[in-house]
Amino acid sequence: MSTTDTRPAESRQPFLDERWRTRSEMALLYAASIFGALGLSALMVAMTGNSWQKVFGALLDGAFLAPGRWGNTLTVAMPMLLVALGTVVAVRAGLFNIGQEGQLLMGAMLMAVVGTKMEGPGVLLLIGGMIMGAVAGGAFAGISAVMRYRRGVPEVISTLLMVFVALQLTGFAVITEWFLRDNDPNRPQRAQTSAALDADTHLPEIHIFGNSFSLGVIIAVALAVVVAFVLARTVWGFRFRVLGHNPIVAQKIGIAATRTGSLALFVSGAFAGLAGAMMLVSGSSSYRFTPGFSTNIGWQGLLVALLARSRPIACIPMAVLFAALRTGSGFLASTGVDRKIVDVTQALLVLALLIPPAVAFIRERRRAVAIAAGDRV
Amino acid sequence: MALPSERPEATAALEVRGMTKRFGNLVACADVDLVLRRGEIHGILGENGAGKSTLMRMLIGLALPDAGSIAIDGEPCRIIDPHHAAGRGIGMVHQHYSLVDALTVWENVALGEKEHLDPDATRARIRAISERYGLDVDPDARVRDLTAGVRQRVEIIKCLRHEPRILILDEPTSVLTPAESEQLFSVLKEGVRREGWAVALVSHKLDELLHASDRITIMRDGRVVSHVLTADADAPSLARAMVGRDVNLFSASAAIGVVDEAALAAATDAAKPGLPPVLEITGASVRGADGEILLDGLTVSVAPGEVVGVAGVEGNGQEPLSKVMSSLLALDSGSVRVDGVEVATGRAGAMMHAGVAVIPADRHASGCVMEMSVAENLVLSSIERYTERGVLDRDAIRKRAVELIAEFDVHTPGPETPFGQLSGGNQQRAVLARALSVGPKVLVAVQPTRGLDVGAIEYIGERLQRAAADGIGVLLVSTDLGEIAALAHRIVVIYRGKIIGEMPRAQLDMERLGLLIGGSTGEAA
Repeated sequence: MSTTDTRPAESRQPFLDERWRTRSEMALLYAASIFGALGLSALMVAMTGNSWQKVFGALLDGAFLAPGRWGNTLTVAMPMLLVALGTVVAVRAGLFNIGQEGQLLMGAMLMAVVGTKMEGPGVLLLIGGMIMGAVAGGAFAGISAVMRYRRGVPEVISTLLMVFVALQLTGFAVITEWFLRDNDPNRPQRAQTSAALDADTHLPEIHIFGNSFSLGVIIAVALAVVVAFVLARTVWGFRFRVLGHNPIVAQKIGIAATRTGSLALFVSGAFAGLAGAMMLVSGSSSYRFTPGFSTNIGWQGLLVALLARSRPIACIPMAVLFAALRTGSGFLASTGVDRKIVDVTQALLVLALLIPPAVAFIRERRRAVAIAAGDRV
Repeated sequence: MALPSERPEATAALEVRGMTKRFGNLVACADVDLVLRRGEIHGILGENGAGKSTLMRMLIGLALPDAGSIAIDGEPCRIIDPHHAAGRGIGMVHQHYSLVDALTVWENVALGEKEHLDPDATRARIRAISERYGLDVDPDARVRDLTAGVRQRVEIIKCLRHEPRILILDEPTSVLTPAESEQLFSVLKEGVRREGWAVALVSHKLDELLHASDRITIMRDGRVVSHVLTADADAPSLARAMVGRDVNLFSASAAIGVVDEAALAAATDAAKPGLPPVLEITGASVRGADGEILLDGLTVSVAPGEVVGVAGVEGNGQEPLSKVMSSLLALDSGSVRVDGVEVATGRAGAMMHAGVAVIPADRHASGCVMEMSVAENLVLSSIERYTERGVLDRDAIRKRAVELIAEFDVHTPGPETPFGQLSGGNQQRAVLARALSVGPKVLVAVQPTRGLDVGAIEYIGERLQRAAADGIGVLLVSTDLGEIAALAHRIVVIYRGKIIGEMPRAQLDMERLGLLIGGSTGEAA
């Protein structure tokens, strides 16, 4: 690139051609970066004296190929997708909610309270619990909204710190007799968990091609479509976008940051809360609420949204990819490789997707300096 | 391109050949030749967007040329960053100041120096430069307490500290009163005469260059259209060369910095008397976060069909006034009434709903959403009209956008184009289109033509006058006296957050206006 382009401006390629060339170059860069990340992971496996072919084979088996595995993967992807959707809503409104791990715990806890402590028809408890879970997650994020708009506390910090509050609160709940502790004297570990949900409050499972997955998967995908539609095509999405891109203009035309921003944070938290509730009724931890119930789903949902570049539909494949790494890692034991390799691979993938924009920037700068230094004068 | 005949008595300090710079498909500078000579002030004249600033940025190493060569004292050299440029004796005073408000003058001057910090030596150096060039500055004053004119002196001292032999000033008078501009020019002339500086004075103001320069290079669309000796030039011929066609010096006055008093006197006052004011701002006072006074009992009223010009030097309360009228700032005391009804200041959308439309000075920051489409921006403030049960009616939005694009002659590839891809003039047309399309009662236009080319400036001026003719009360806030004189029926002067003087256009007195904006009410007031 640094040696051509001495033609006069009039004879340069038309704008569209140039844009397509740039795009295909970027696509190539992305592909190369991803292969680079996978290659590096393979190299690390090889360096520890193991077979990378076996590792990738095991990951693929664990995620998709072995009997019943892809259904399992989809069920794991479901809460990640929900968390990511909530993140996207907040990001569009210019807010960074990174406390989904805590909001998810709150949602799951409320579902457990409704499911184990209240009486009523199972369907009612199931639906009521999911709604309560969403409200709990939303309200938990809403505390951060109040702190932001009343006291100017950045939501990035407050949502993150509120995770630790949620951890303490839910930890307290499961060891407290009157709260959520399982009171069945026949279970030895009952002091650490809630009672199991009754079968009539479980979310139905869909059985297909020898696999089964939670109905929640369908709900989550449907919600992704709804979020995409609301953001792009409705007046609420419009307001979120104006607020996110330019809060000054928003204030001017009557979109109050306090109201609209709080709504965005609430919705964002509600998605995480719903994710927690649906994990519980889909059978996570054997339908019991436990202190470590969230198992990093909240954090991983954030990464899903990051890699999907805040596009709701793109969150679907990204969530499946991350879920596949997670379920696939369960099969690594047979290869003798530590399952932490999956965390490394995930981190490498995240970094890999940041490389192409950086390369484009550096190349442009180099070109300019080379010209100034006289290569072409 | 023919070069001007060399004058043997003036030696070339800096010689530029074939400088070219492209940004994407836009050619900002095309094959530009320029010679700056010792002992001369060289005016670079051109409209906004003609490529003047880009050319200067390449001389100082802030932008890197795609092609071309630079020679200093006849020796070819390459400038890749501002340090490099300083090392070769080139200094620049920028259009926008780069001073730290909270620091003192000497601290600002010492900022960015590589050697060990020595307060006393720095102070002494500042005093020496002050005395030598008549740049009166107290080294221990805090920058935040200084007026724009003094801040500029600090910038110049920062620049002179490196003893440059080639001095570039980019639109130096845009924030100065006429008296301060005069002072600046005498400093420059002194330096040129005594020290043999080569000065490049970049401006879009014709009058200024006719008055202060020895030679003028005129640029248009990134190219040099001519080099002339100032002694041989006159305003109409320069204006024609600058714009590329004959221009009405009156309607284009803001673009070329000429005030034609004869034409002003001939203009008739069209304001209808006797109507109750549509906008009344009474005793508006606001303090900033640090307790500084932003508005200090500002009172002004606008009748329907009237254009009231608020003249003043930048930083005297124009921005807070604009913010109040955009619902971005709440008053501490005082009131704003629209059509007799008091409007809650600072509440989101309250001004807009009361019928106030604002064309802000910083259209990028508060006039539009660059990332959204042209169509979305055009219906931004009336989006509720284009929704059905919460769902955007995209056909209706597109239809309305196409109408407005045609009516206001916005040049855009299409309504779906991202707003940020439009040129400055077209962005401003779109902002104006949105402001007028909602049928406002009051239109507040703040620096509506800043940074635009002549065609766009004439258009905006015409539109403002038409809006007034339709019965809208127009408050025109501008630092450009020419623009105010050309458009306003009545002129008020803003100084340190309040209105300190007023005159109808029929009694326009540019000299008194010049004094007023400097804060001197004098006896004539």
